[in-house]
Amino acid sequence: MAVLNILKILCLSILLLAVEVGRYAYSSDFPKIHGFLEEAFAPRVGKDDTRHRQFNMAEARAQLKTNHYFIGNNILADWQTFVKARCDFVLDIYEGGKVITDLRELNVSFTPLDIADIKVGRQVLTWGTGDYLFLNDLFPKDYVSFFIGRDDEYLKIPNDAFRLMLYPEWFNVDLVWIPFFEPDTVPSGYRVSYFDTFQGKIAGVTAERDVLMPAKKLSNFVYAARIYRNFQAYEAAFYYYRGFDPSPKSYYDEQAHQLYHERLDSYGASLRGPVFWGIGNIEAAYYYSPDDSVGDIRTIQNSRMKYLAGYEKDLSNDFKMAFQYYLEQTLDYRQYERALLPMDYKWKEYRHTITNRMTKFFADQTVKISIFTFFSPSDLDVYTRPSISWSPQDGWTLTVGANLPWGKDSLTEFGSVQKNKNVYARLRYSF
Amino acid sequence: MRRINLFLMIGIFSLFLSSQSGAMTAKDIVKKSNQASYYQASDGKADVHMVITDSLGRTRERDMTILRLDNEDDSHQKYYVYFNKPGDVKGMSYLVWKNPGEDDDRWLYLPALDLVRRVASSDKRSSFVGSHFAYEEISGRGEEEDEHTIEEETDELYKIKSVPKEPGSVEFSYFFTWINKENFLPVKAELFDKNGKHYKTMEALEVDTVAGFPTITRMKASDHNSNGYTVSEFSSIEYDIGLGEDIFTERYLRRPPRQHIGS
Repeated sequence: MAVLNILKILCLSILLLAVEVGRYAYSSDFPKIHGFLEEAFAPRVGKDDTRHRQFNMAEARAQLKTNHYFIGNNILADWQTFVKARCDFVLDIYEGGKVITDLRELNVSFTPLDIADIKVGRQVLTWGTGDYLFLNDLFPKDYVSFFIGRDDEYLKIPNDAFRLMLYPEWFNVDLVWIPFFEPDTVPSGYRVSYFDTFQGKIAGVTAERDVLMPAKKLSNFVYAARIYRNFQAYEAAFYYYRGFDPSPKSYYDEQAHQLYHERLDSYGASLRGPVFWGIGNIEAAYYYSPDDSVGDIRTIQNSRMKYLAGYEKDLSNDFKMAFQYYLEQTLDYRQYERALLPMDYKWKEYRHTITNRMTKFFADQTVKISIFTFFSPSDLDVYTRPSISWSPQDGWTLTVGANLPWGKDSLTEFGSVQKNKNVYARLRYSF
Repeated sequence: MRRINLFLMIGIFSLFLSSQSGAMTAKDIVKKSNQASYYQASDGKADVHMVITDSLGRTRERDMTILRLDNEDDSHQKYYVYFNKPGDVKGMSYLVWKNPGEDDDRWLYLPALDLVRRVASSDKRSSFVGSHFAYEEISGRGEEEDEHTIEEETDELYKIKSVPKEPGSVEFSYFFTWINKENFLPVKAELFDKNGKHYKTMEALEVDTVAGFPTITRMKASDHNSNGYTVSEFSSIEYDIGLGEDIFTERYLRRPPRQHIGS
């Protein structure tokens, strides 16, 4: 089996080498292909009853990307039409050596008017001011990738979307339509264990739950909008989202172990700019939960408020430090308390989180040491992500890091995934 | 008697005139040199090829396109940098609003995440993309930040000594700059650390005239502590291309202006 996998990796590598050679052999109008090859392995610290007990990740990945610009005397060129494609091919040993195709981007952008850009197709969408904390960015995230040690790029899941960007004189507008709601990828016990409320303990492959998806119909389209502008160096933005909660925390049918993505409307704002010799940001969001608008249904998430304040400072000598304070408040908390059954776990009304990021470069910026820590004083859980990456020469990067979640309780955000402590190593060649 | 007086008057007057035109103050010279180096025309564009060589002779390369727009005050500027090489940074774009005497405003766009990240930037002496050039050696150090004196003057060159007003904010204690009297471009600079050791040299290796503007097209920064050095080459240089203010905004961070940076 191992030999077969090595063979597959070799085949993939040879294929990519051929692409590279082809790139040089062809004339310059041949679309240029860039990307990377990566080998990644993440052994666990301590066993767990997920599919593989000893490791979270073992994969060989090839990312290929290309783009095309239309030129000449035609409408496509006049509209500055631009096609972008980016696709990952993953030989996943965790999945028993399956080759998985992950289309990250396939979209076309154009500018039909001076004040309007349009981007249609598969694309990654990001906005908001938080660092690993998302208030108004309700586009899908892959938290499994995050916990097992893949590159940050894989925290974002692409969307099939239509995006209209308007730039009138006084402000900018981003409008996003997503026909089919795309949820977060959250721990399911298969690769990353979590606290299974049905069993009342942290569970791996034995976890049993169904997550129902919203029906694919017109009224279930997801809409998101952002209005923003700069006041000198200060960036102000307002956000709107109409869709579904990307993380399933509400129950559709508790007896049948069925969770679902409850409807969610979000309204928010943010401000970011220079403050006290650094960069400061504040952001807030109001999550309205239409399925439990009064807050008295114990199985469905209440409406919530989210607040964030952050500060980053450059301390010279390639050393930066950043802090964030994040507060989540459950609204209609009295109704929630009253609706609880005697055996139910009672979540606190306020959840406080503090984060810290330290980044330092060494050796002409060829070595980067970074450590990111989440700490919740209200939930008493912690999640630390140290990493060191080294680029011995152009193109090559070796990254070694760890994921260290811990919690006093097994139910809290990081306490729930505390059995997934791992170290990881990734070797990447970019071209 | 009256005639003598008149001659005397003319003599004194012409002496006064010549001292006005001939003897610029050190600060004037540095200011003029900064204008010649970083503020030619009202905007500009260049492709930059950097080769970074370490003490063992190993090289790394950085390719980027830099667009520049001057503010009307001829002091604030905006820079747009698009990275072409190496592969792991290709497609990233970087925006700097340069604020002399204050922190710059900087944004970095990561296309794989569709993320516009605000970059904290108090240290203008930190390395630019891992090269031996500091940020402000690429975009200019304001003449207000140092006390300047003319150390030496020849027919061709001024040698200026510059001592930082805030010594704590920089790694050098003073530096010398040799400035060409004809075009006011710097020819060489030598930096000295807190112990008075000469630890860094910058040299203009080639100067060409582009659209009537004398322009440094090849320059080198050498670190004498590590024995590493970086050579930067500037090509496809253009001036007064009519860059709009809007290029230096989030819109073009996300959608690089292909007409100016190629594909």
